[in-house]
Amino acid sequence: MLKYLMKRSGIYLIMIFLTTSAGYFLAVSSLKPAVLEQEKIPRPTPEQVAASFRGLGLDPELNPWERYVQWLGGIVTRWDWGRSPNGAFVNAEFADRVLVSTRLFIASIILTLIIGVALGVYSAARQYKFQDRVITSYSYLVHILPAPIAYFLVQLGAISVNEAVGERIFFVTGISTPGIDPGWPAFVDMVAHYAVPTFAMTIFGWAGYQIAQRQYLLDNVNADFVRTARAKGLTRNQAIRKHALRVSFIPVAQSIAFTIPAIFTGGFFAEAIFAWPGIGLWSIQSIGLQDVNVATATLAYGSVIFAIGAILADFATTLVDPRVRVQ
Amino acid sequence: MSTNITPAERLRDAGLYAPGDAVLSVRDLNVRFNSENGVVHAVRGVDFDLMPGKTLGIVGESGSGKSVTSMAIMGLLPETADITGSVRFKGKELLGLGDKAMCKHRGNDIAMVFQDPLSSLTPVYTVGTQIIEALTVHNPNMSKQAKEARAVDLLRMVGIPSPKDRLKAFPHEFSGGMRQRVMIAIAIANDPRVLIADEPTTALDVTIQAQVLEVLHTAQEETGAAVVMITHDLGVVAGMADDIMVMYAGKPVETGTVEDIYYNPRMPYTLGLLGAVPRVDTATRQSLVPIEGTPPNLALPVIGCSFAARCPLVSDACLHGEPDLFPVPGAAVPGVEGQRLGHKAACIKSNELSGNADAHKIFHAPPKPVSKFDGVARVEREKVLELKDVKKHFPLLKGALIKRRIGTVKAVDGLSFDIREGECVSIVGESGCGKTTTLLEIMEFHPDQVGEVIIGGVSNKVATDHKTKMAMRKEMQMVFQDPTGALDPRFTVYEVLAEPLENLGMPKAAIKKRIMELMKLVGLQPDHVNRFPNQFSGGQRQRIGIARALAVNPKLVVLDEPVSALDVSVQAGVINLLDKLRAELGLSYLMVAHDLSVVRHISDRVAVMYLGKIVETGDVDDVFDNPRHPYTRALLSAIPVPDPNLERTRERIILQGDLPSPLDAPKGCNFATRCPVFAALPAAKQEKCLTLEPPLASEKEGAQDFACFFPDGELDADMLVVHA
Repeated sequence: MLKYLMKRSGIYLIMIFLTTSAGYFLAVSSLKPAVLEQEKIPRPTPEQVAASFRGLGLDPELNPWERYVQWLGGIVTRWDWGRSPNGAFVNAEFADRVLVSTRLFIASIILTLIIGVALGVYSAARQYKFQDRVITSYSYLVHILPAPIAYFLVQLGAISVNEAVGERIFFVTGISTPGIDPGWPAFVDMVAHYAVPTFAMTIFGWAGYQIAQRQYLLDNVNADFVRTARAKGLTRNQAIRKHALRVSFIPVAQSIAFTIPAIFTGGFFAEAIFAWPGIGLWSIQSIGLQDVNVATATLAYGSVIFAIGAILADFATTLVDPRVRVQ
Repeated sequence: MSTNITPAERLRDAGLYAPGDAVLSVRDLNVRFNSENGVVHAVRGVDFDLMPGKTLGIVGESGSGKSVTSMAIMGLLPETADITGSVRFKGKELLGLGDKAMCKHRGNDIAMVFQDPLSSLTPVYTVGTQIIEALTVHNPNMSKQAKEARAVDLLRMVGIPSPKDRLKAFPHEFSGGMRQRVMIAIAIANDPRVLIADEPTTALDVTIQAQVLEVLHTAQEETGAAVVMITHDLGVVAGMADDIMVMYAGKPVETGTVEDIYYNPRMPYTLGLLGAVPRVDTATRQSLVPIEGTPPNLALPVIGCSFAARCPLVSDACLHGEPDLFPVPGAAVPGVEGQRLGHKAACIKSNELSGNADAHKIFHAPPKPVSKFDGVARVEREKVLELKDVKKHFPLLKGALIKRRIGTVKAVDGLSFDIREGECVSIVGESGCGKTTTLLEIMEFHPDQVGEVIIGGVSNKVATDHKTKMAMRKEMQMVFQDPTGALDPRFTVYEVLAEPLENLGMPKAAIKKRIMELMKLVGLQPDHVNRFPNQFSGGQRQRIGIARALAVNPKLVVLDEPVSALDVSVQAGVINLLDKLRAELGLSYLMVAHDLSVVRHISDRVAVMYLGKIVETGDVDDVFDNPRHPYTRALLSAIPVPDPNLERTRERIILQGDLPSPLDAPKGCNFATRCPVFAALPAAKQEKCLTLEPPLASEKEGAQDFACFFPDGELDADMLVVHA
């Protein structure tokens, strides 16, 4: 198993290197930070801009290949992912951003998965009955509702709760209140900040899992092996729970790989609306600010998350499906 | 004779007259399903009593309601099914029990073995877990060790080698036959009183079928259970069953002891079915009995006898009122010792069918056609196809990025044979023996192939240009196994048949004329040419497939399992058609089939393949009547014959294990690992089999060729079984 993981990790490392390099070339040839400098007052001369950028390792006069070698050298020798046009170090901000994103998403990823799969099973067992129709219709509705609108509605809901109670129970934006006492008050404050975004992302996030799990389970509910289990003396529900469920979870386990990175890197709506300055938001902002190094770093992060997701999916698949054996 | 008795009265009577010691009593069982086309009345009044330790065979074609009956007894039909009547287990009513209450009986009192062993086991659990689950459900207090020990015993009982280790294996690590053994182990885990086997061997090879039937037999002996054996194969039940119930259109049409049904059938349908089955043990030079038409649509009410539309004896009286099952005159009275069902038939003319009714005469079976080649000696006829040392080896590779060759699969390993004008050559063998690869190699017809394929005098070594290849294709056409999959559902029959002709550049008017000819030739109505394939029945679709193959006037037709997807009664019609076409058009056939009875009926010559090699080949009567190679002997002995007396006394060779992987093909004789002769040989002689490859040669001029050193050797006693 360990050997298999090492091998897979090796392959993904090569893939991450390739995507990141390709991303760097794209960024370095299309993003031009010097243009933005021209809007500063007093307007700097091109020479001044070039000189300041040269100091930041962003020399606009070098060709893309030379810039790439310089950038890669920095990473390999000093683990230095470069600097922004405003002089900030990518490395310094990166860790904070990742931490913010992780804290924002981790709870909702787990909740989405559990609730989505559970509701999929529940609705499949009651196919075409009232409960199934409500749950599945809701999932389709959520699928067509754009995320920003959905999140905004939750915010409005939280605000009206606050107003109804007459006290600020939920924070609809931000990570924490500055200057709060450590210990219990800090914990309550954290929960108050967490609740709204986690709630919003969870109730609008499980639709995909619910629909997939329902479909795969229904495909297996009438399988021959479920009939065999019933012929042994298991009730229909026991047979479905013990036999159909695990088989139907195999394709769902595989799809997790592709949803986790999508949540992390595509989460900029959530980060923007709830004002959690995470990695997704940073990535979008960096493009607006013509920031080559930040754009590439966030891209690299996305690739890493994807690789982790894919390895997790492989791992989950081998765990639930004995026909898949690592070698 | 029509039904004057109400269902309520029948149920009451059943209660009064059901034998008190029956383990399972079914009375007036009716099943209706709601479908888009209205209510389908799938089972229409089934009655039977099953006595302890006895075997009841339920025989019928697809759609006759035999599987639905078994599922209704088990309570496994969907909730939407409307089930009425009575199913009693030891006097206790089972119909109407809830899922939970029924679970106490399922797997404990009544157990079931299903048709497809590949999909009937849960892929993600070990077989041990699945067997132990069956024990846990009904014995919650049994200790873990006891359950494991019992599971090992069960696996040993059904003949799985090293059962203790195999407990931890997953279903995908077993072959189909082994999985069916596991299914049987699960079914008998709690010593059920009733075991229902629904087509348990239909998906298996003949040699494996013999093994599994043997296991079922053992299981019945060990548990003393009564068995309900559901099948479409009259041969399979002949040797096993005590009683038979023949079903047609959801209703039993004839019941009785095996002897009654096989030797004295009193219902035209039973008579037709028995005549429609080709026999592997006799060289009949007679056509099969075709039963024209299709079963009635059960979404519509059945008026008159359900078989009337297909019955050659039909008269006006048959169309008024559906006949009930009535005792056949002269038959023993039910209830008398040894007579469990009593011989009953649902036919107003059962009297006329008494004694020696000839199915061939009644069903107007066509005479055996005579070909212009019949009088010509084989050597004087032209060769239509010749294979010279054809080989197809697949490399077995391993590794993700850099592939390394770890072995070779010798799918076809040095095949040589020829087909002369007007003859039918069949290739037989178990799945995986290389039959289909051989056909593919012939169809491939490429200069780079190993070995030479000569079609109509043109060798693949010289036919490099497109034009010669086109000419070759015209000489040889193919008919496929699955008639539904082989026809484009969006093409009308006209388009299907026109395509090959257009390809040849035939003018439109000529195409039209030819298509009308073809439709008549294969026995379809010419005005049906504008219909789509889904408007035809399975047998008719296969006729379309045959017409398509014949469109370009080929000399050789390659038949890949041409009738295995068809029901027995329909199969007979298609086989007769193939026979007729061969005689009339002077065709040659190369057929691949797993059903040796069909092969015997239609072929002149046969080649038995094992692991990519021909082990015996010659005239079909020589090979079938006097098989020399032990493998041929085993194959032939494994085929069940629709003759109860013969079946019970026949000596059967049960081969051990499955076809070995072509990877570990032994150095000497391929068959040595499973050979019943080899097993009985003294070690000194065994050495020869293990080191030398037996050549394919005949003993005397004109006899068949075979590849065995000890054709007359003793058979190993362990592999011989007789059920007296």
